[in-house]
Amino acid sequence: MRIKRHIWFFLATGLAGAGFLFSCEKVINPTLQPATPVLVVDAWINNKTEKQIVLLTMTQPYFDSSLPAGVSGAAVSVQDVTDGVTVYHFTENPSVHGSYEWTPSSVNFGTIGHQYKLTILLNGETFVASSYIGRVPAVDSITFSQQGNNSNSKTIKYYGQFWATDPKGPGDTYWIKTTKNDTLLTLPGEINIAYDAGTSIGGDADGVVFISPVRRKITPRLSSNQASTDSPLILGDSVYVEINSISLAAFNFLGQVITQTNRPGGFGQLFSTPLANVSSNLSNVNPSGSPIVGFFNTAAVSGRGVRFKKVSNN
Amino acid sequence: MRIVFFFCLFLTSYCIAQQKFTLSGYVKDASNGEAMIGATVFVQPVNAGTSTNEYGFYSLTLPAGTYTVKYNYLGYKLVTEEITLDKNLPTDVELVSEATVLKEIQVVEESDRPTAQNPGMSMNKMNVSVMKKIPAFLGEVDVIRSILLLPGVSTVGEGAAGFNVRGGSVGQNLVYLDEAPVYNSSHLLGFFSVFNPDAVKDITLYKGAVPSRFGGRLASVLDVRMKEGNNKKTEIHGGIGTVFSRFSIEGPLVKNKSSFIVAARRSYIDILARPFVSVLKNGGALNFYDLTLKTNYNFNDKNKVYLSGYFGRDNFLFDKNQGFSWGNATGTLRWNHLFNDKLFLNQALVFSKYDYSLQFGGTEQNNFKWKSSISNFIYRPDFSYFINSNHEVNFGGEAIYYTFVPANATGTTNGTPVDVSLEKKYNSEISLYASHALKINPRVSIDYGLRYSSFSLYGPGTQYLYNDTVPGIRKRVIGEKTYSKREAIQTYGNWQPRFSFKYQLNENSSIKGSYNRMVQYLHLISNTTASNPLDVWTPSTANIKPELGDQLTTGYFRTLTTPTAQYEFSVEGYLRYTQNQIDYINGADILINRYLEGDLLSGKGRAYGVEFFAQKKTGRLNGWISYTLGRTELQVIGINNDNWYPTRYNQTHNLKVVGFYEINKRWSFSTNFIYTSGTPTTFPNSRYTQQGILIPYLATNARNNVTLPSYNRLDIAFTLQGKEADKSGRKRKNKDYWVFSIYNLYARQNPFSIYFSQVNDQTLPGQPLLSQAKQISIIGTFVPAISYNLKF
Repeated sequence: MRIKRHIWFFLATGLAGAGFLFSCEKVINPTLQPATPVLVVDAWINNKTEKQIVLLTMTQPYFDSSLPAGVSGAAVSVQDVTDGVTVYHFTENPSVHGSYEWTPSSVNFGTIGHQYKLTILLNGETFVASSYIGRVPAVDSITFSQQGNNSNSKTIKYYGQFWATDPKGPGDTYWIKTTKNDTLLTLPGEINIAYDAGTSIGGDADGVVFISPVRRKITPRLSSNQASTDSPLILGDSVYVEINSISLAAFNFLGQVITQTNRPGGFGQLFSTPLANVSSNLSNVNPSGSPIVGFFNTAAVSGRGVRFKKVSNN
Repeated sequence: MRIVFFFCLFLTSYCIAQQKFTLSGYVKDASNGEAMIGATVFVQPVNAGTSTNEYGFYSLTLPAGTYTVKYNYLGYKLVTEEITLDKNLPTDVELVSEATVLKEIQVVEESDRPTAQNPGMSMNKMNVSVMKKIPAFLGEVDVIRSILLLPGVSTVGEGAAGFNVRGGSVGQNLVYLDEAPVYNSSHLLGFFSVFNPDAVKDITLYKGAVPSRFGGRLASVLDVRMKEGNNKKTEIHGGIGTVFSRFSIEGPLVKNKSSFIVAARRSYIDILARPFVSVLKNGGALNFYDLTLKTNYNFNDKNKVYLSGYFGRDNFLFDKNQGFSWGNATGTLRWNHLFNDKLFLNQALVFSKYDYSLQFGGTEQNNFKWKSSISNFIYRPDFSYFINSNHEVNFGGEAIYYTFVPANATGTTNGTPVDVSLEKKYNSEISLYASHALKINPRVSIDYGLRYSSFSLYGPGTQYLYNDTVPGIRKRVIGEKTYSKREAIQTYGNWQPRFSFKYQLNENSSIKGSYNRMVQYLHLISNTTASNPLDVWTPSTANIKPELGDQLTTGYFRTLTTPTAQYEFSVEGYLRYTQNQIDYINGADILINRYLEGDLLSGKGRAYGVEFFAQKKTGRLNGWISYTLGRTELQVIGINNDNWYPTRYNQTHNLKVVGFYEINKRWSFSTNFIYTSGTPTTFPNSRYTQQGILIPYLATNARNNVTLPSYNRLDIAFTLQGKEADKSGRKRKNKDYWVFSIYNLYARQNPFSIYFSQVNDQTLPGQPLLSQAKQISIIGTFVPAISYNLKF
């Protein structure tokens, strides 16, 4: 599906660049309808050797730019449904409200191929969600390419891409996360998901090297304080690429997140889809109980990091 | 065909009785021989009347006697003829245009048949000469932008393609160019339409009370008729505008027998900008052009053949290998045949195609190419039987064969191509119809009709079966069935009754009403704010049912004639219920999706409103005021908590004021003012984060819960006619005029949309994410323009 988002983006940028000088865009402060806060679960856990966190917060007014308040007093556990025995108890960090943590000691979290169930007990209500850990291919290498003319250094731009091969068998879904100089790229335009080696279900890209739009999306977007002539990567940058296996539900969820958050400005608004809530795989066991938003995913992770020293020929 | 045959039998029963004769013929413009559509023919002392059809033909059957016949068309000199009707009387009439400028006192003839006496309702006509006077965006006269000034017609905003009629979506309008359907009527998104004003004669917009001969869309029919070409002398028109250069040539091929017109337009921003813009130097392109052709041949009084064609394209190429392009091509061959003075047949063979292509990733090794199209062939016989001045019967049929190519697409990665094409779809739509216009007495006339259409989807193809799931989330495929070539996959049939009446209160006022059912088998799949060139038309299948619409209208019409001017007033109410309206799940994937049907939802719609219209048709100062109060809503299970919600194009208030004033012999002024309520949109009220990504959230899970600020705009234009005589006092052979216009005079920044997003900067871990709302105005300033037009 992302090739299609690419199409929209392509269309929008094309038109914006088409010389339309009459449009204008300004920041406004509309009054929004009041809202009752809703419980938010941010539960993306993985098999890395590091602290695993389930974060419980409440939704906040849209323009409230403070950190969301944590929700204390919950009991959070993740059960291995496949082996039926293992239970990971997440305990609240006394110094960070709403942060429920589990730290691996001898073994990391989870087993590839197993199903997991998240259970949250809070104020007499029970919230549950399911996930599984899919397989993940290794990142073979990261390479860099150059666009622009050597004779004019100002026009030179550098782009990165990673190389990995999706294992045979359809239906693997991934979230490729990139860290540039210790900053995880999380801007709406930087969410990079894959279905097998391609971008969408039915893309017939199973068991091959990730296709170009996926490989190249590890390159950061330019931020608003950079000029459009700036290069997204410069010599000396460190780039770390991590492939997270995600559930099909998480793949669909992130697809919706991209639609809802990566809003093209200007002329692109002609082609924007209506704002709508993204889905959640969490539910209250009592259907008439409190609402809940957020997502639970369990991932296996592979990664590789390099420092950008020279351009390869790819 | 049996129905047609039956009707023929039924009709012959009328043809007995007293000695009656038929007055028939064509009404034409004396200056160029163009057939005049909708010219009125009024016979005294019996007060019988009719108007000419789309080919300028009329026929009136009256008892033998002596009559005064008045031929009239607004802006033309009245022609009065005394006739003795003692045999069938073929009478062709040519009308002469009024002196074009400065009609100090224009006496309005009572025989001009005003709207109040016309049987039709919910219909607007606009002549191209009126369109040319309306202040235009960038000085480019435009058909679609002109009809936006009519009552009941609206748009979601500047730049949006198409138009909305009485709360219908853009895809619910049937747009005809010389009887060929046009699937995307826009150049450059929605800024300009594909119709070249130099080649257009006039347009008719049917918003309700749609005649039985039209079918296939729910909301409206826009019938654009092209000029036939001057059959008296050769004329060349040229124009230089801000966006387009125009050129057209028309003239006789065989004098009074055959004529032609060729009209071309091309945008030329890219040519002017090429030296300065590197993209354009490297094989990029930004242009749109169209070519309109028409010719006709008058074999004899009974047989006339027309051939018309259109070809237009928009190209946006970023370099030689990347970009997109779209365009329409249509061709229409028509044969008008008069069996006798009373029975008129128009047969049309039509071809129409809309296609687009898109390509990016400009290397041989890595690229993506996508082509899509809809094409069709149509055969349409249409009979008009003018029995006498109280009876007129119209019947015929339509056979359409469609081919849909949703996606012919290939993605190439490292030189390995992957074909992601979708199956083609083949459909037929066969319709038969008949209607009878009946004048019961001088006060009451009715028009009733029936249309039956049958729509089939043929193999080869695959029909998917989807699970029944929670509404509003993606449906899963649980089975599929493949069909072989020409095997019927799905067939639908629908009866569409049409009825309208007029009750004449007095000579100057009437009450009218109508009911009609419309069926739509093709669906424009679009879930974006504005319709766009990549929107895909898709036919009805087992999973997508035909859309049905039932519309009721009623109205009061009044004409006011003073010695110097003619005014028309009307109030019309409409109410339309629709079924099987398409909507989309949140996050629907509508591009190149084999399982598109799994992302579609179906629901009910309702639209209702009142339209007020007041027009001063004559005099130095003329124009109109149109006000529509309306609402249009959908109810789709799975959206907005299953409650009714306003559509994206809902507008409560829609006010338009259009004025023309002739200052003196050379200068004229025109203006229009538009005020509309803001259209609905969805605002979030809260937010949350997932993995460092800010997600907007609306706790009520509503759709279109707020409305944008209102839209208003004032445009003005001055037209300067060139001098009629040159310096030495001789009359100039050429005619020319300048148009100076300013669009959006007070530079209002009308919001097209407001969107919410995370501020586009990386945030350090532990820091809160910043959110913002931005308002987009597509035209955020005033836009002056000059155009120069020449005729010789």
